[in-house]
This record gives sequence, structure tokens and C-alpha cells, in this order.
Amino acid sequence: MRMIVVFEKGLPVRHIGHLDLMRTMQRALRRTDLPIRYSNGFNPHIRLSFAAPLSVGVVGLREVMDVPMSAEVTGAYFQQAMNRVLPSCLRVVSARSVSDTFPTLMALVAGSRIRIQLSICAEAMRVAEVFPAFMEATECVTLRKTKSGENMTNIRPFIAEGSLEVTGTEAIIRCVIQNRQDGSLKPAVLMQALCELAGITSVDYIAYREQIMTRNPQGALIGVEEYPDA
Amino acid sequence: MTEQIERLLMRVEKPARYTGSEMNTDVKPISQAEISFAFCFPDTYEVAMSHLGLKILYSIINNLPYAVCERVCMPWVDMLEGMKAENVPLFSLESRTPLHQFDIIGFTLQYEMSFTNILEMLWLGGVPVKAAERGEQDPIVVAGGPCASNPEPLHAFIDAFMIGDGEDVIVEVVSLLNECKKTGVPRAERLRLLAGIQGVYVPSLYTAAYHEDGTLRQFLPIDPAAPETVQKQYVYDMNTTAFPESIPVPYTQIVHDRIMLEIMRGCTRGCRFCQAGMLYRPVRERSVDTLLAQAENLVGSTGYEEISLSSLSSGDYSCLPALCQRLMERFAEKRVSISLPSLRIDSVLKDSLAQTQRVRKSSLTFAPEAGTQRMRDVINKGVTQEDLLSKLKDAFEGGWSSVKLYFMLGLPTETDADLAGIASLGEAAVKAYYAVPKGQRAKGLRVTCSASVFVPKPFTPFQWCAQDSQEEVIRKQRFVRQQFTAIRGASFNWHDPSVSLMEACFATGDRRLSDVLYRAWQLGCKLDGWSEHFKLDVWLQAFTDCGLSPDFYAHRTRQEDELLPWDFIDIGVTKRFLWREYQRALNAQTTRDCRLGCNGCGIERMKGLCSYADDRSV
Repeated sequence: MRMIVVFEKGLPVRHIGHLDLMRTMQRALRRTDLPIRYSNGFNPHIRLSFAAPLSVGVVGLREVMDVPMSAEVTGAYFQQAMNRVLPSCLRVVSARSVSDTFPTLMALVAGSRIRIQLSICAEAMRVAEVFPAFMEATECVTLRKTKSGENMTNIRPFIAEGSLEVTGTEAIIRCVIQNRQDGSLKPAVLMQALCELAGITSVDYIAYREQIMTRNPQGALIGVEEYPDA
Repeated sequence: MTEQIERLLMRVEKPARYTGSEMNTDVKPISQAEISFAFCFPDTYEVAMSHLGLKILYSIINNLPYAVCERVCMPWVDMLEGMKAENVPLFSLESRTPLHQFDIIGFTLQYEMSFTNILEMLWLGGVPVKAAERGEQDPIVVAGGPCASNPEPLHAFIDAFMIGDGEDVIVEVVSLLNECKKTGVPRAERLRLLAGIQGVYVPSLYTAAYHEDGTLRQFLPIDPAAPETVQKQYVYDMNTTAFPESIPVPYTQIVHDRIMLEIMRGCTRGCRFCQAGMLYRPVRERSVDTLLAQAENLVGSTGYEEISLSSLSSGDYSCLPALCQRLMERFAEKRVSISLPSLRIDSVLKDSLAQTQRVRKSSLTFAPEAGTQRMRDVINKGVTQEDLLSKLKDAFEGGWSSVKLYFMLGLPTETDADLAGIASLGEAAVKAYYAVPKGQRAKGLRVTCSASVFVPKPFTPFQWCAQDSQEEVIRKQRFVRQQFTAIRGASFNWHDPSVSLMEACFATGDRRLSDVLYRAWQLGCKLDGWSEHFKLDVWLQAFTDCGLSPDFYAHRTRQEDELLPWDFIDIGVTKRFLWREYQRALNAQTTRDCRLGCNGCGIERMKGLCSYADDRSV
């Protein structure tokens, strides 16, 4: 069986990179008595994989990882065992056991829901002003780095839904980012495009990935952890 | 401040260096402690978190019900500049408390070239850099570690030094200062009280006078509270002294990212250049049972996948095979591997190594230190050419193809023949590899010979020695390099001699070097241990500005009757023993390993401390 684990990567650890997070989780697993699986070979390590790497600097509210188990345990037991040995900025939110035939998480991911919070200041207001225009447009070209190099890319098609909320203290942008053939869109690239539209060099913000999305067999967007186990 | 810090973190390289929140660090709220201690490591986070001493003292202080200890590291240049521009004071990793708000600030002194970082950290933390300028509200700044064995170059910046093993003295210092805080004892009196603790040196209570030639004439206490001789503190029993049950687990990769199990302290070998070998005498081992219990705690609390056995000479640990066997049995299920660092070439190699299940066959390190037997006899490195070659043969037969050989250059009495010996040894290593039949040996031979520059250190038999001049070091490096051009399969690395020059000055310096240090820092020196930031010309300028010369400190042979700046410290080994060893060195006479019989180094004066001491030699 495998455990599909939803966890929070909190504000203090948002600068931890993907590989460092993986090692951190492996060490946390080793602190428990959970029946985990090890790779074979000269340098055995704990098997685990993440649904989608999270950009450095982004807080993850419902990150998802897949931990193969060597014996049956319940999701609740797993959650409890992990939360006993994790620092407070890394919390298991829920865990669900699935069969070995459950699809790999990476293959399921269709997009993500993100939230960007800007404390009110002149730059933040400029960004808030241009956001509706960005949503109305069909094109917004900015420099985007991918594995194949830096390219001028139209990033607008990555944004499936978008909304803006301005309170007394903050401007909050919410988006659904849909993955495309050449990958996903980092919140930082979206913000860079918005800054360019707003005519400013930079703005301070905190980005949150609220959920990693997939489509269920009926085609509706759901959290990747909710995908039905055949 | 938090918002400013968060903004800076978005801009700097490796922001996780500054964010803390690692496993096993949410110890207790600083606001609830009666007294707060900032453990300052004068280097970057990656170096700091690799240091076992930090983890030991962090755990000891935090286990005191009335105290809290938080960590503070030297920020990298990008963060430094950002903090200065945004007026963000240096803060602790745990609670982001500005340095100046702590009651006690403690620096660990591991390396001379980190001294400027101490000044930078104090300044950035809002603490008056000079001890004399601190007032009643300012923290007490203490320091310990190997470089505290000659504290004089830092005397102007540190209120009190702790000499010797830190486990007990740190508790005495924190507890005393806590009592003082409760009753509002004035700063001057607190320092006088500190001076009464064994191993504590309060520099402001002493005065130094000099001869016309610049050597020390007199060094005396000027306050009845200060002892004439500062006797270092010892841990008597390694099985009962504190060792952490849990240690912080960094998120990012640090230099030594594993459990370090200190299997013993001290070394019986008596290599004459080695300061650690003299400072940490005598050898005190931990029992296998103690170590197993400590490993059990640490694996459980950290989840680390590797344990390294740590000591000055792990191969000398009396129960090494039993320890390895039991550790491996215990942790096989959790796939925790055991590795042996600082392998000496005359250690139990084959048996123990064959047992460690995950020995990375990437590279094996040997430290012959010198190229000829004569030279090795001078430095008392009890290793022969035959030993070395047989160990190399074992290594190559055992599947290694890459070995590193460490040497020193500029050792006392060294000749070109000794230097040529370095290349010969490199060549012999290559031959040892080709002597293993093809098909039985691993592919990709690499013999890397590295030569550091000899730095005379206090409390070693070579404390009287001069370092070679820069020109001579460069000539010698060139000479060795040339010898290596003819050897295929071996390469030669060397060190920047100018860094070694400054190391020699600050290792053996006196009080006046505080001025040089302060001047160099004003001129912009910091992070000098990082080659890209070391600026020799600025250091030389600082010496000139203070009317002093590096030659006096580094390039001068000292006389037997010279009063040395660190003579007021009783470090265990006596000056008499060190001088005797120095004379034997000049005659290329070796001295036996302590385990073969007591050599009367001075430790035998401490009853019951050394298991090899012969009390009759007192």
C-alpha cells in the first residue's frame, strides 16, 4: 500500500528547496516507527515522492506526497506518528492509504490554486489596478525560465481563473494555474509580469499554493489527494 | 523587524541559513527564561551547524531550567549588506532577538581567521565592539574553544574567556551571571566574580609590559580577584558528562550533515605540530554502552541516516571493532550507516572498514604530514613509509582508486630532500595502485597530495619556531610542484601562504594584536577564512598602521627564556615538557605514544585524570 499525505509547508520553511524538503521528510519518517520502504542497493534511502515541486519562497498549504509502506497502517495513525516528529512549521494535514495501483501523483497533476498576498503600499495598489486588465487580456508576454532555457512566453493561458480582493490592509490575488505542455507557471513569474504591466520594478508579497489540482474521471477539478482509488 | 527580514530573505542567496525553525530547536520561549545566552558562531550557518561543540553547549544551556540558548551565525555578504542598508540588527535564529538584547553572548573560537567576524557580529548586533566600552546594560561577552588557549589577540573584545573543556565551566558561568542578574551586581563586580571560576580568564584584570625588542617582559593580574595562573577545566569522565539527546537537524546541506558521536577526547600520539593533540590531553574514552545509548537517542530524535565516529584519532579507540559491530547491528533495520573520519594510516583499517556497510569508495584520506622518515621523526608522526605503503596497498586492493595524502610544508628543520620526499610518496602511491593486477583494481586512479603551510601554535613543542618567510614558502611550493610534473596519476595542491602568515600571527600573538584586528576590521576585513574575501594587503596595512610587523610574530624563533603571551595559562602540558619535546625534535628523536608509557607531559599532576599517567614522574 501507499500513503497519500497532505502536509503544510509553513512560512518559516518556505525557502527550503525541493531536495532539502525530501531529505527532511525522509529523516522525519526515520524518526517514527512507521513501516516505510527503502530502496535497494548500496545507498538505501526511504522511498517517497512529491506531487509537484514547490517554488522556493512559496508557502504550501496542502502539499502532497506519496509514501510507499511495507505494512498496513491507517491514515490517522500515520498522521499522528508524523506530527509527533515534525517541527511545527511542517504539519501533516491528512493522510489516506491507497493501493499500489493508485496512479503516480506527478502524472495526475493538472494545476494548482494559488494565493498571493500583498501588504498595502503604493506598489501593491498599482498591481491591484492592473490585475483586472491582465485577466481580460488574452496575451501577456514575459520572460520565463524553463528547462529548455529562457523564453519570452505568453503566460496568460496558464491562468484559468483569477480574482482580486482588496481589504484595508492587503491586496489578495487568487488564481487557478493550469499546467500546460511545457510545464507550470511559478507565482514569481506571474508577479514579474504584473509588475511589468504596472510599470514598477518589484513588489513585496507572499505566495501560497493552496492546493494541487487534478481532474477526476468526470473532468472536474479536485485536489490531487482526492483522486479515486480504483 | 520581521517584515524587513522577510523582505531581505527574498533577495539573498540561501535564505534558509537565516530562518531557523529546524527540528529540535523550538526549545523554550526566550521571554520565559531568567537568563538568555546567544551562542555565536563566527562563521556561516553551514559551518556553524557542522560543529559538535555548538550542539553540546546548546543542549547543556537549554537543559538549565532558568536559561535559554539561541544560535547566531555570521551572515554571508549579501545578507550583511542588506541588513546594514535596512538597519536590521544581527538576530538569533530561534526567536529573531537582536544580539544586544541577550544577557550573555558566547563566541566559539575555532579558527584565527574568523576573528574579524566576531567584531562584525558584535557591531551588527548593536553591542559595543570593545569590552572597555560596554556599560551596565550591555551583554557580557564570553568566548571559548581551542583558540582561547591564546586569548590575547582578542583581549580587547571579550569580557571573559573560558579555557578547557566547556561542559562544566559554561554552567558555572551562566549560573553565576544569573545570580548576579537577580541581585543587580554591577558589571565590574560580575567580571571579578567570573575570574574566580576555574578556567575563566578576565583580560581586563591583567596587565602586560614589553621589553624594548617587543617581547613580553611581564604579565600580571592587577586585581586580587584574578589568579596569577589560569588553570583550564577538565572533564574527568566522558561517560557522565553531558552529551545531547537531540540536536538541531538543518534543512539545507551543511558541511557535516550527520550524527557526530564523540567516542573519545584527546590523543596519545604526541605529534609535535598538533595543537589539538596537546590541548585535549589526556585521552578519555566513552564506553561502548554509553555510545550506544547516545546513538540510540540521536537516531531517534534526528532521523539522520549516518553516524560518524568523531575524535582526534578514532582508529586508536580501544573498543573500535566492538563499537562498530554493535552500532551496525542496532541500526541495520533503519539503514543508518557508520563512518569513520580522520583515519590515521596506522589505525585498524581493514577490520573496521570491512564492517562499515556503507563505505563510500570515493576517496580515502591519509595524513603522513611529511615526505621523509627523518622529517616524520622530527614531528613525531609515528608512521613509517612501510606502514603507509601497506595501507595504500590495502586500500587499492579493497576497491579504492582515489586517495588523498595530506602534508605540511615549512616544518622545522625541513630541507629540499624532505620536500622531494612528498613527491616520492605520491609516486609510491601511484606504483602501489599499478601493483594491483588490472581487473582486480578499481578504475580511475587519483592520488591527490595536498600541502598546507606549517603554522606554529601555542602549547605545542613548535611554539618557539619561526614560520618560513613568504618567499621561502613560495619557493618550496614551486619546488614540490616541479617534482610532481613528472608523476602521472598524482596531483599536488597547495595553500595560499599569505593566509597561513596571518594564522601564525594571530595564533601566537600578544595583546597588541587586538589593535591590528580592530584596524583590519575597520579597513573592511571580514570572512577572512573564505579565500575570496581574504585581503593580505589590507592586513599588512593594518599592521603598519599599528606600528607592528608580522615578521615579529610569524618569522621569529623564540628563546627558551622568553615569556610567551599564553604562559599564564596552565593548559595541562608543561612548558618544560614542550621544550624537551622541541629539543628532541631538533635531534629527530621520536617520543613514544603515551599508551606505551608515560612521558611526563604534565597531565599526571591532575590525579586520576589520565589512565596512562605515571604518578612517579611528578
